[in-house]
Amino acid sequence: MGAKKYEGKKLSKHSVGQFLISALPFFALVVLFIVFCVVVQAKGYRLDRYLEIVFDEGVVLAVVATGAIFIYTLGTFDISLGASTLFSATMGVMVYNATENFLLMILVIFASGIMCSLFNSVLASVFHIPAFVTTVAMMSVLSAIAGQIITTNGGALGGISIPSAIVKPLDVPSVKIILLAVFFLLCLFVFNYTKVGRRQKFIGGNPLCATLTGIKYNKYAIIAFVMAGLGVGLGALLTLIYTPSVTTTTASSIGMNIFIAIVFGGMPISGGARSRIYAALVGGFSYMLLNDVLELVIDSSAAYGLTQVISAVFFLAVVYITGMNYRTKMLPR
Amino acid sequence: MKKKVTKLFGIVAACVLSMSMLMGCGTGAATDAPASTEAGSETTDAGKTVKIGVLVADVSGEEAQGFRSYYENYVAANYNVEFDYTDALQSAEEEKSAIEKFASQGCDAIISLSSSDRAMQIETCEDYGVYYAIASGVLDDEQYETYKGYEYFVGQVGPSNETEFMAGKAMGEYFKNQGVSSVAMYGAFIPNPMHVYRAAGVIAGLGDTYGGTDDMGAIVGQIFEDQGVDISKVEGDVNLVAYLQGYGDTTTDELNAAIQKNPEAFISVGMATTFFTQPLNEAGIPFSDIDSFTSMNGSAIKEGKLCYLAGKYSSSIGPTFALVMNAVNGNVIRDSEGNAVSFSQNYLVATDGDTFDTYFVSDNGDAPIYDKETLDSIIGEDVTYDDLAALISSK
Repeated sequence: MGAKKYEGKKLSKHSVGQFLISALPFFALVVLFIVFCVVVQAKGYRLDRYLEIVFDEGVVLAVVATGAIFIYTLGTFDISLGASTLFSATMGVMVYNATENFLLMILVIFASGIMCSLFNSVLASVFHIPAFVTTVAMMSVLSAIAGQIITTNGGALGGISIPSAIVKPLDVPSVKIILLAVFFLLCLFVFNYTKVGRRQKFIGGNPLCATLTGIKYNKYAIIAFVMAGLGVGLGALLTLIYTPSVTTTTASSIGMNIFIAIVFGGMPISGGARSRIYAALVGGFSYMLLNDVLELVIDSSAAYGLTQVISAVFFLAVVYITGMNYRTKMLPR
Repeated sequence: MKKKVTKLFGIVAACVLSMSMLMGCGTGAATDAPASTEAGSETTDAGKTVKIGVLVADVSGEEAQGFRSYYENYVAANYNVEFDYTDALQSAEEEKSAIEKFASQGCDAIISLSSSDRAMQIETCEDYGVYYAIASGVLDDEQYETYKGYEYFVGQVGPSNETEFMAGKAMGEYFKNQGVSSVAMYGAFIPNPMHVYRAAGVIAGLGDTYGGTDDMGAIVGQIFEDQGVDISKVEGDVNLVAYLQGYGDTTTDELNAAIQKNPEAFISVGMATTFFTQPLNEAGIPFSDIDSFTSMNGSAIKEGKLCYLAGKYSSSIGPTFALVMNAVNGNVIRDSEGNAVSFSQNYLVATDGDTFDTYFVSDNGDAPIYDKETLDSIIGEDVTYDDLAALISSK
């Protein structure tokens, strides 16, 4: 009886600890938001505009990384998502300039994003080439193709573009919030309320066990990459809405920032049962807020790269703290 | 228990480390800012401090640092102005975000040294009602026609594409006149438009043709299509024996291969002194570059094999400052047709150490080429387009 009571007490103590650590990313986001507001106000800058800037900076990362959560949940990853975003945006611009059809441009952007992602999934799941290898190769290939198209067609301008008047009406927070919300709710539904999400977590946690219970890895890998492709397509569209031009450096930082966003959001890179669909959204905006706070506080002439060093320290601290949640003798629940 | 204490200690240590770094930096920034303001207020006119945001893509190059030093240490000390620089901007998205931040911070004007998407920069500044000027490179003709009537676009001062072509052509002619019969060429960062125009100029200056033509537009178009210089398309008296571009893992091998072909000269359209001074000196191959009047280039021309330098100088961005300062003070200078101004600046050329010193020494320290007295002649209520044109063409 006494031992049972002790076990129960230990379990509830563990649950509370787990809950607190799970809530940490949200807490960090709120703290960073407050610090950001205080710093902007103290500097006498316009807070409303700054909030809009942070949203614009974070929304593309949040969208692409939310799609990528499906891949990361499987315990694998895709480093080519930034290049896929560049490629999709490039194809969209080329199609618009050839047809002047905005709807067709949107279709091509999404189709390109999904095709890039599917190609990765075919290589990874059908030919059993490790995702790390295929996505690194695809990153180079997609960047090179997009670069060739951009420099050949951009000529002296160094980039290709669509008329800004086409996308300007969409470059308002309300449109971006709606697009982000629709995509997030779709991902939330698939991830939390269908067997797709549950089985992907199972595969990520223990692929062998998942296979033995009859779950087909290939099917769920393809679904994961398709969801990521949708995120890439939406990310490319949002990029064009923000800046209607594409250069060889467009979306160049997204690939690595996805890692950071997911970790800042409290999700393990190894995927599995502790994967959270909100991680990219929370982590993406936390990361942007952190960057902007550091940019505001640190004089840019003080030392180049100092903000990156401090970001790295925060990153390691977050990994350490959230990692405490995984280092347990109990199975995840 | 011991484990918990270790964990707790780890968290506290990480937080303390992060916070102390953050606060330490904050202190630095806080102490830096008033210092520069004080420096400015001692010697400047009374009134509101003009805030100018500067968009930069390169933060570490010697030329970029020279530009920054001129604005922050010389101009800011002589005028009631404060410059705020971005970090290295790598994409159009970052440029737009930086402009929005400057506008939110109350900047009166923005000077651009970054060129991912100049059209977007102009449109964003127009949206926010912030004056905008280009200090490095220029818009292409079509873009200039589109944006020259924008209210907040005050103008551009820098080498035009034709000037870049002519700088390359003059460099090619120099070697042709020296009687060389074989050269190697470094195309720097082609398809960067500036480097494309220079490379096209070099081919024309050597007296060669590219794809059967020596016309600027035709050569430039082909180089853009080829994404580099295809040596099989170069024909003429001077033989192009090797060509390389970019900088990466294979560059050293490509350079060594070029040296193995024994060219009589190595012609670079940019960055040669930064990347290749030592191997070219060791190989004893005379080389040329289009860059800036910096101390590194000074050493290369005096002690090394650099024999021709077409360069910019740090204070060449002075007229751009004058343009935005006039605009902020209510005198928006326009050309005769009422459009944003566009001035092309030429390169200065040095072929020996003495000539180099003439430009380098005279543009450094307290007496830059565009010094306060010179700038004062183009800053004011009564300054006109003709005043600016006359001064810029005289330098």
